[in-house]
Amino acid sequence: MNRRQLLAMVATLPLTAGFSRFAVAAPLDRVMQKGTLRIAVYRDNPPWSWRQQGKLVGIDVDLGRAMAEKLGVKPEFMELTADENMDDDLRNAVWKGSILGEPVADVMMHVPYDREFGLRNDMAVLTGPYHRESFALACDPARTDCQGALTDMAGSAIAVETDSVPDFYLTGAFGGRLRGDVVHHLSAAAAMADLITGQAGAAMATLAQVELGQKASGRKLVVRRGPFPGLAKQGWDIGIAVKTDSRDLGYRLDDVIAGLMADGAIAGIFASYSITHVPPGGQGDR
Amino acid sequence: MKRILLATCAMLGLAAATPTFAAGPTDVDLMNDAATTGDVLTYGMGPQAQRYSPLKVLNTENVSKLVPAFSFSFGGEKQRGQEAQPIVHDGTIYVTGSYSRLWAVDARTGEEKWQYDARLPEGIMPCCDVVNRGAAIYGDMVYFGTLDAKLVALNKDTGKVVWSKKMADYEAGYSYTAAPMIVDGKIITGNSGGEFGIIGKVEARDAKTGELIWSRPTIEGHVGQLNGKDSTMTGKLNASWQGDMWKQGGGATWLGGTYDPETKLIYMGTGNPAPWNSHLRPGDNLYTSSTLAIDPNTGEIKWHFQTTPHDGWDFDGVNEFIPFDLKKDGKTIKAGAKADRNGFFFVLDRTNGKFISATPFVSKITWAKGFDKKGRPIYDPANRPGNPVEAAQGETKGKSVFAAPSFLGGKNWMPMAYSQDTGLFYVPANEWGMDIWNEGINYKKGAAYLGAGFNIKPLYEDHIGVLRAIDPATGETKWEYKNKAPLWGGVLTTAGNLVFTGTPEGYLKAFDAQTGKEVWKFNTGSGVVGSPVTWEQDGEQYVAVLSGWGGAVPLWGGEVAKSIQHINQGGSLWVFKLPKA
Repeated sequence: MNRRQLLAMVATLPLTAGFSRFAVAAPLDRVMQKGTLRIAVYRDNPPWSWRQQGKLVGIDVDLGRAMAEKLGVKPEFMELTADENMDDDLRNAVWKGSILGEPVADVMMHVPYDREFGLRNDMAVLTGPYHRESFALACDPARTDCQGALTDMAGSAIAVETDSVPDFYLTGAFGGRLRGDVVHHLSAAAAMADLITGQAGAAMATLAQVELGQKASGRKLVVRRGPFPGLAKQGWDIGIAVKTDSRDLGYRLDDVIAGLMADGAIAGIFASYSITHVPPGGQGDR
Repeated sequence: MKRILLATCAMLGLAAATPTFAAGPTDVDLMNDAATTGDVLTYGMGPQAQRYSPLKVLNTENVSKLVPAFSFSFGGEKQRGQEAQPIVHDGTIYVTGSYSRLWAVDARTGEEKWQYDARLPEGIMPCCDVVNRGAAIYGDMVYFGTLDAKLVALNKDTGKVVWSKKMADYEAGYSYTAAPMIVDGKIITGNSGGEFGIIGKVEARDAKTGELIWSRPTIEGHVGQLNGKDSTMTGKLNASWQGDMWKQGGGATWLGGTYDPETKLIYMGTGNPAPWNSHLRPGDNLYTSSTLAIDPNTGEIKWHFQTTPHDGWDFDGVNEFIPFDLKKDGKTIKAGAKADRNGFFFVLDRTNGKFISATPFVSKITWAKGFDKKGRPIYDPANRPGNPVEAAQGETKGKSVFAAPSFLGGKNWMPMAYSQDTGLFYVPANEWGMDIWNEGINYKKGAAYLGAGFNIKPLYEDHIGVLRAIDPATGETKWEYKNKAPLWGGVLTTAGNLVFTGTPEGYLKAFDAQTGKEVWKFNTGSGVVGSPVTWEQDGEQYVAVLSGWGGAVPLWGGEVAKSIQHINQGGSLWVFKLPKA
């Protein structure tokens, strides 16, 4: 039932007016009415969303634009500073707003489509998976062998982002044998730069971050996408989130994303950033 | 006095070069703050932060008659936790509030003199509410730090900005909430930031200009700064950290410090190490969860004492170290005391950091069985959250343990007080534990992440908060007051045999300092999580405290939330005195 049908029904059944007030006061209507879709993307998160010469660019930004276009509304972006974890981010961007009073967005991009995570955050609805993300190890083949046993890399610096899964994995695995070789950086981009300039023999980050670094290097790196024995999370799907009372907006955007996936638009966006698009592979998959 | 001073200046031909307003407190005034009852010039009511007043106009006999003189509302919608301690000087109360605001209020009438609102940028991410713990005053300026990690100096009479300095990059997660401290013309600050990617620092700036004089990183391997040049390395590279993990090792100094004019040392507490999972960072991880004694002139570390070596429970060691003279076995020892997040009450020799004692000040501690003679904890290995690498097949998280205290601490930020009359410390403690485990799957910035999982639980059904009177010579509890909700406000004690502290239920309460008997209470309308002060004005004794519920407790929820769910928010300064006969 679309909105027009519902309104027609309400007109013929005046007694249900009290109920219908809630049924039609849906955020999808509100988005259509105001003519803008407010989209939350992470601040400084290449290749997904970041500022290039002052301009907001990235896969999530382009996809958000395409989603708004399909709805026939204008996109409006909210740049979100990442909090300690994404439960906090959902609160700040989707259902409550930040402690400083910044309003929430209609939809947040780049949210893991994970069952347990969704159950724990019942004020948000996770939907519209559009990509499957994973971790990858990159090496300069002239210096390091990326394909052998990871413990063979001992003695060669491996760059990571501090406090990321690659950090915990490499410092903790194999009885800590690689701990002394792990070099910490404040971002994945800095870790990749360390590899490219030859300071480190390898770097580990998400596949998208590795591919972005590889593109910047102009050099042929060997990228190992697995296996990583003992790694807690081999891959996870990425989708969108809306507030729990905006389910109709979420469903509509889920359809929009499925359409953009089917007609190759999403693959095209990824290709324009030289990032491999991996179709989402299912919920709660480890 | 002001007029006389101006007249004197004019006679000396200095008027042209002198500001129109009277000069404020000098270094001598600040160092004597604990003894001068007509003002409150420093955070802690004296550089040693004993929070003790020699005033006894107000005492256990007459405190029941204490009534409000006035209340001043912070207004607006920004009613969050009000954790500040007021500063009182020359008939003006200077007080900071949530969202980086500062007011000058007439101490007699409660009228606003001026207000300063920091313009906060978008995208700041303070970890634990938008609090501020107070201002500093020196000469004709008042100082405070902002949530976007700026240090601001304002003219004390006009509220106009004299200088403003960026202490750290808020976009990298830095913030500032502590009250700054002034030592010998230098403004001393720590730093606050998120849990990862940062290292703690202590910094000294010229109070007149805001120019950096020295900077001391708290993690070994980092090199300090002095007068624009590299000075010395903190500790020894890789002595207690493997690889390059010291680079982002934590140790934030988010609560600021105390200063002892006798030993001429700054005492600064440092936060927990990063990352959470202690199995990834074998070693003591110096100087996290420690107290550092620092030379105020050079920024050199004179001694250190680590209260939780190789911390695996987020037992942040930032708590205040209060210098006092310990009378034990017929001797007087220049000592200092610290009630740590980890549940132990430490007494050290403040001249050299030598360990004297560590005794529990909460009813249950599971992570260590005690401390040995050298001051090392006797760990209970069964109560360290397990290494996820050793997790069972199919499990991603390490073994969960029940640890007490919880990471919110046997005592959190709220400062204790020391009475020179009773010789007791009055410690605002909390009785809670936590299930804690390493590395449950979570997400950070769109990527899979392995954090620590925890669930905070009260230890008792009828109370969490306990105000305890602790004898530092024996570690014994002389009396205790139990409170349903967690205690989250500072303590004040006076020569009138009184101890004051606030409760989340909205009360400012007074207790008999010797017996713990509750002798007065007043409900301020919102939770009290600020630190009370007292001073003398026009021959009367005043007491002031902030009201406004917030801080870290309401952000955590769980079973703790039950004791606080009905507390209303607010934001005001309350001032009390005895009615004139």
